[in-house]
Amino acid sequence: MIFNGHTGWRLSLAAVLTAASLHAADVSVSAELSRPDITAGTMAELQLKVTGAQTADVPKEIDVEGLQIRLTGQSTQVQMVNFKVSSSVVYSYIVMPLRTGDFTIPAIGVLADGRRFVTSALPFSVRPGSAASSAASAPIPQPMLPQMPPGMRPRQAPRPAPQVPSANRLAFGEIHCAKKSIYVGEMVPVEIQFFFDAHYPVQVRGKVDFGGEGVLAERFPDPKESHEERDGVTYNVLTFHTLLSAVKPGSVDLAPAKLDSQMQIPGGAPPGFDDPVFQQLLGGQSPFTQSRDLAVKTAPLHLDIMPLPKEKRPDSFGGAVGQFDIDAVVANPHPAPGDPATLLIKIGGKGNFKAMGPPVLTNAEGWRTYPPTDKFDSSDELSYTGVKSFDYTLIAQQDRQLSPGAEFSYFDPVAQQYVTLTTKPLPLVSTPGSAAVPPLSGAVAPASAQGSPIPKQSTGPAKEGDPLGEITLRSWTTPVQRPEFLIASLAMIVATVALAGILYLRDLQARGGSDRSRRRRRIATLWSVINADTSDAISVYDAAVEYAGMMDVPESARDAVTGPLKEQRDKLKYGTGGSFPLPPAERESLLATLRGLGPGKTGGSIS
Amino acid sequence: MKHLMTFLLTLGLLTVSLCAVVPVDSGSANAQFHAGRTAEALSSYRTLLASSAFAKAGSFELWYNRGLAEEKTGEPVAASLSFRRALILSPGFVPARRQLSKILESLGVPFRETPIDKAFTLISPEAMILGGAILGWLGLLAFVVLFYANREKKGYLALALVCFVLGHGVSLAGSMTDPRRVAASQGVVTSKTSPTLRATPADSGTAAGTLSPGTLTSILSRNGAWWYVSDGSGHTGWIPSDTITPLIPALPSASGS
Repeated sequence: MIFNGHTGWRLSLAAVLTAASLHAADVSVSAELSRPDITAGTMAELQLKVTGAQTADVPKEIDVEGLQIRLTGQSTQVQMVNFKVSSSVVYSYIVMPLRTGDFTIPAIGVLADGRRFVTSALPFSVRPGSAASSAASAPIPQPMLPQMPPGMRPRQAPRPAPQVPSANRLAFGEIHCAKKSIYVGEMVPVEIQFFFDAHYPVQVRGKVDFGGEGVLAERFPDPKESHEERDGVTYNVLTFHTLLSAVKPGSVDLAPAKLDSQMQIPGGAPPGFDDPVFQQLLGGQSPFTQSRDLAVKTAPLHLDIMPLPKEKRPDSFGGAVGQFDIDAVVANPHPAPGDPATLLIKIGGKGNFKAMGPPVLTNAEGWRTYPPTDKFDSSDELSYTGVKSFDYTLIAQQDRQLSPGAEFSYFDPVAQQYVTLTTKPLPLVSTPGSAAVPPLSGAVAPASAQGSPIPKQSTGPAKEGDPLGEITLRSWTTPVQRPEFLIASLAMIVATVALAGILYLRDLQARGGSDRSRRRRRIATLWSVINADTSDAISVYDAAVEYAGMMDVPESARDAVTGPLKEQRDKLKYGTGGSFPLPPAERESLLATLRGLGPGKTGGSIS
Repeated sequence: MKHLMTFLLTLGLLTVSLCAVVPVDSGSANAQFHAGRTAEALSSYRTLLASSAFAKAGSFELWYNRGLAEEKTGEPVAASLSFRRALILSPGFVPARRQLSKILESLGVPFRETPIDKAFTLISPEAMILGGAILGWLGLLAFVVLFYANREKKGYLALALVCFVLGHGVSLAGSMTDPRRVAASQGVVTSKTSPTLRATPADSGTAAGTLSPGTLTSILSRNGAWWYVSDGSGHTGWIPSDTITPLIPALPSASGS
């Protein structure tokens, strides 16, 4: 984008002059300050001029304690003295004082044409003074004379060279935001203006760089061009409009909006060509200009982002923030039986139409509804104002005389409260068709209409085709492939076995132990009865018979023992003497007989 | 008994944890979807699914949402894969089945719905497996307790035994029919063109037919960049592996990368 395109022939001339300078003179390097002393709060410019070379290797920063000196750009100058042409490259540094005092800018080393050159040191002083007064009284940098080789300086007093304004007067930016405190989702118009001194041609490069974390800036439409006078200077003004919206609450400091440009400013006119008469001949403008890259910036913008209140948030709120109104129209109020009808809900106003959800239908009993399609007609190039239309397709499931109503809620940032708009049901006479209604293209019938319900385990949407809200985790592997399931199953096996064991032992305990232990105890009891001197004869023989019967011996051997024992017992039981203790000799004989039944003597073998 | 209750409680918590709700907010993505910014919504869903929250498990809701967004942005093959993945995680999710049916119809791929698929709308295989296992083990425990405590009540013993057999039978049936059991060896043809089935794993192999994009295949063998697949209709052959996307997605790392 070029504001002033009259420089073509001058560039051509410069090219010719540059070509003529191929046989350039010796290389020389010099340094010059725009002002040798400044007040605190102002800045100066240091120019490093390399004559006789197309390029040079110069430092990007120059270290001076108390000063900050940084390279800001370079330009090319062409000089012609007595038809002898020489070209120069001027490297511009900005000198920013960090404190007051006297300084010496040291000699600067420059590598040019394969040789190293050194400039002379320059004295520089910073005087104290209030920032405001300094800024107000800061003079425009003095015109700089082109550095000329010794001996070629004109003897007469130097003629006035074209004025070179300071960078901040050449171009500057301004940003205007109607509000400093906005709500999340609220769209705020922002105007960004870039001012360029109308005296100098300027070429805009790139796009406006603006935005920040948590804040969205809509795309910039083409800027508007205008002219404006500030402090007696006429400026070409580029005005950009955009919309800002925030996505999360908090304080945000947006970096300055920036626009890169290149301005042609006068400079480098050699003696003889800076004559006003000569300039008059050239249309009043100097043919000798230098390009200066400018990053034109606005001031930074601070915004306080407030969250939308949770209190009194309507259920039908779908994220719309702004100021809206609502209207409803039935496109075909008398559809044929079974045919769909269309309910058109229009939301107009200004706000964040892009994030606006559809209105909620009310009184929709007896209607099968589908997710609406929407269309937005913007009234401005930023899509800040306009009308968003939602088309609802309705199919009557019962005889209906009225359409559903609609409810739409938004947050009004001016009133700082939620607002709910409603539309009343409109006349719509519709009856269901006799045959099943095929699903519309692009819309899927609700699950209930298809006869197979959405399973309870799934958090199904209200309407198919809508994304689901709740998020649950499900494993990609079947439970039997998961370690936790296998561990749980193993644990169940162990628990079952343990439970069975515990119950078995308790049962055993309740029953007096195992058969073997009970037999063992019984045998011991019988043996003690047989051995007891106090036992009567019948008890002894009863015990002996039972004892012999419990011994694990061949049946014939057992019968050979138990037979006589039973006979003797019966004799005592049914005769006399059974109630007296057994004589010792008979007891010993009986014990010997019983010992002969088993190896354990007292217990025998246990089966 | 106290230990048994503790164990059963632990088992229940384990079951619940398998279907836990995760702290992932898909609200903004859904808002983008509703606002018609489906490309942004799709990007958001993809980002969510690549988050570390899904390093060990998936979300059928997010895959379904992603499928919807892919469908709206004109990516039917990718949408079919997403809906299939949603159905792997929740086989009884009817909306995903309908969307998949619709997409496959548009792609010209046959969609078969088996009686088992319909049964899954009533009970999920996960519920069958876990519920059946719990019922079976409870039946066995009851049988053991009754056997020692009151074995004269034959009816209760028989009921406990039936619970044991029936529960584990249901669990086994759920395991056998769970689509996740075989999903690891399945893939979907996701190439834009129909890849050619070849008799040998080489470009020069004899052509044995083609597979339409969106077709579900069983991966029978892998040989480098060639996979031997079957489409379930008797067509088998080798196709380049880059034409197939495994049904089980590559899970994001726990760090979220």
